[in-house]
Amino acid sequence: MSKITLENISYVYSPGTPFEMHALEGINLNIRENAITGLIGHTGSGKSTLVQLLNGLTRPTSGRVLLDGKDIWQEPKKIKQVRFRVGLVMQYPEYQLFEETVRADIAFGPKNMGLSAQEIAERVSEAALLTGLDESLLDHSPFDLSGGQKRRVAIAGVIAMRPEVLVLDEPAAGLDPRGRDTILNMLRDYQQKTGATVMIVSHSMEDMARFCDDIIVLAHGKLVMQGRGHEVFARSRELSDVGLNIPEISRLCLMLRERGIPMDDGIFTVEQAEQCLLRLLESREQRTEGYV
Amino acid sequence: MSQSWIRTENLTYSYQDDSTGEDQPVLHGIDLSIDRGEYIAIIGHNGSGKSTLAKLLNLVLEPTGGAIYVDGKNVSSPDMTDEDVFALRQKVGMVFQNPDNQLVATVVEEDVAFGPENLGVPSAEIRQRVDDALAMVGMTEYAKHEPHRLSGGQKQRVAIAGIIAMMPECMIFDESTAMLDPLGRREVLDTMEMLHREKNITIITITHHMDEAARADRIIVLDDGRILRDGTPEEIFSDPEPLIEAGLDVPQSASLIHRLRKQGIELPGKIGTPDDCLETICAVFEQ
Repeated sequence: MSKITLENISYVYSPGTPFEMHALEGINLNIRENAITGLIGHTGSGKSTLVQLLNGLTRPTSGRVLLDGKDIWQEPKKIKQVRFRVGLVMQYPEYQLFEETVRADIAFGPKNMGLSAQEIAERVSEAALLTGLDESLLDHSPFDLSGGQKRRVAIAGVIAMRPEVLVLDEPAAGLDPRGRDTILNMLRDYQQKTGATVMIVSHSMEDMARFCDDIIVLAHGKLVMQGRGHEVFARSRELSDVGLNIPEISRLCLMLRERGIPMDDGIFTVEQAEQCLLRLLESREQRTEGYV
Repeated sequence: MSQSWIRTENLTYSYQDDSTGEDQPVLHGIDLSIDRGEYIAIIGHNGSGKSTLAKLLNLVLEPTGGAIYVDGKNVSSPDMTDEDVFALRQKVGMVFQNPDNQLVATVVEEDVAFGPENLGVPSAEIRQRVDDALAMVGMTEYAKHEPHRLSGGQKQRVAIAGIIAMMPECMIFDESTAMLDPLGRREVLDTMEMLHREKNITIITITHHMDEAARADRIIVLDDGRILRDGTPEEIFSDPEPLIEAGLDVPQSASLIHRLRKQGIELPGKIGTPDDCLETICAVFEQ
């Protein structure tokens, strides 16, 4: 079931001027409900523009954005409602924390929704729980927290609005490996517990391969691939041809094939590579034994 | 006694916690030797003290205990004058994480000239140094551009050029690729490695990316303010458990070999880099 559908979307910056630039051209895609979708593409591929179209921060030059089958621009005056339903977490969101306490910062969104004090308090607790922030941290200043904790506070602030779709731009950038895994595991738990639709924008193919159900690939403003993770990564050679980084393990497997070792196509995790090599080594051993 | 170019002796650093007033130790007695021309990666989880160590090496921070020697001189001694500190920072340059925080001028070439101007270099020589530095990082055609219009990788290369123009002997990169996209990362890594290879500049890079660390000659692993491991990528990645306990990763290729070895497959080759791993696996099939 498609949560968000983009129909023939194009976006042009500064149309009719010498600076006219086509950021997106003829994009048709479906973002699946109740799944984690990864959005991949170079800087300048149109990723950020696409993300801003999803919650109505920008309006497409042509084409339609459908949320639950309904055009979000049907009633432009109600676009603010869409922004509550599709929550956007920007890059390095911890730079946008500003309140005196963690609690007040998380409460900022729900307050803007005009909710009652009791409802706000409930949502703050819920968001803190979902992002793994201990209650005892809520009365601290956000500026006393570690980088990874600050980022979770920023994400909690969006989650507290109970968005049906949560979009995050590079949620793990700049974190150490443990901090990165904590955030990504937290997002997967969040997705499973709430049934929300989650979209992650990232440059890290390794992370995308591990954490996303579906993958969308953009290049030069056009949709290049769309499908389940294994379908997209099965085409790692094509990804590499459009200049995208593929996971290190995929690269290794492609090089092994070039050296005549018949690795399966489309390996994108270490576990898959291990299974494949074990199988190849075993059949090779059997063959060798056959000669004895 | 062999003379290392940079040497630290029982180096400690702690800061005072604002709320409790207590001393919070960050580094506990670091003993480290770095030779001229080495290419070193420092890895460790957030809060392990790696940025603190880097900042001590060019005296952005002052040690609270122990000593730092650079080129035989005790640079942590209280006798250091302001001039001495400037001289040290000219020798040991530093590139930071955020490309938007380290450019000061409104034109690229003026930004690169900022360092040598402050060193009092004659203007004809500044011109020469700026041109050379921009050429070295491949940014000559952007000399008259405005820095804020550049990509992240380009901004970092301008920041690097600004340091090269001061003719340093050592450059420290404090997570300088963390905020860049894959293309920008590659630009900065290539520039860094060119400086090491062609100019024999000592490179110390701090990173969370294990694939970047694997490219260095030597890796130092910090954990809670102590040196946990110190060795070649081959040595460090051959023993994954301490790394994982310290909250770090092993590169995917090396991790594959470890898993296969655990399954009883004999893979006697090297695993330091993806290319080593490739050869190690191929060797088994070619037997």
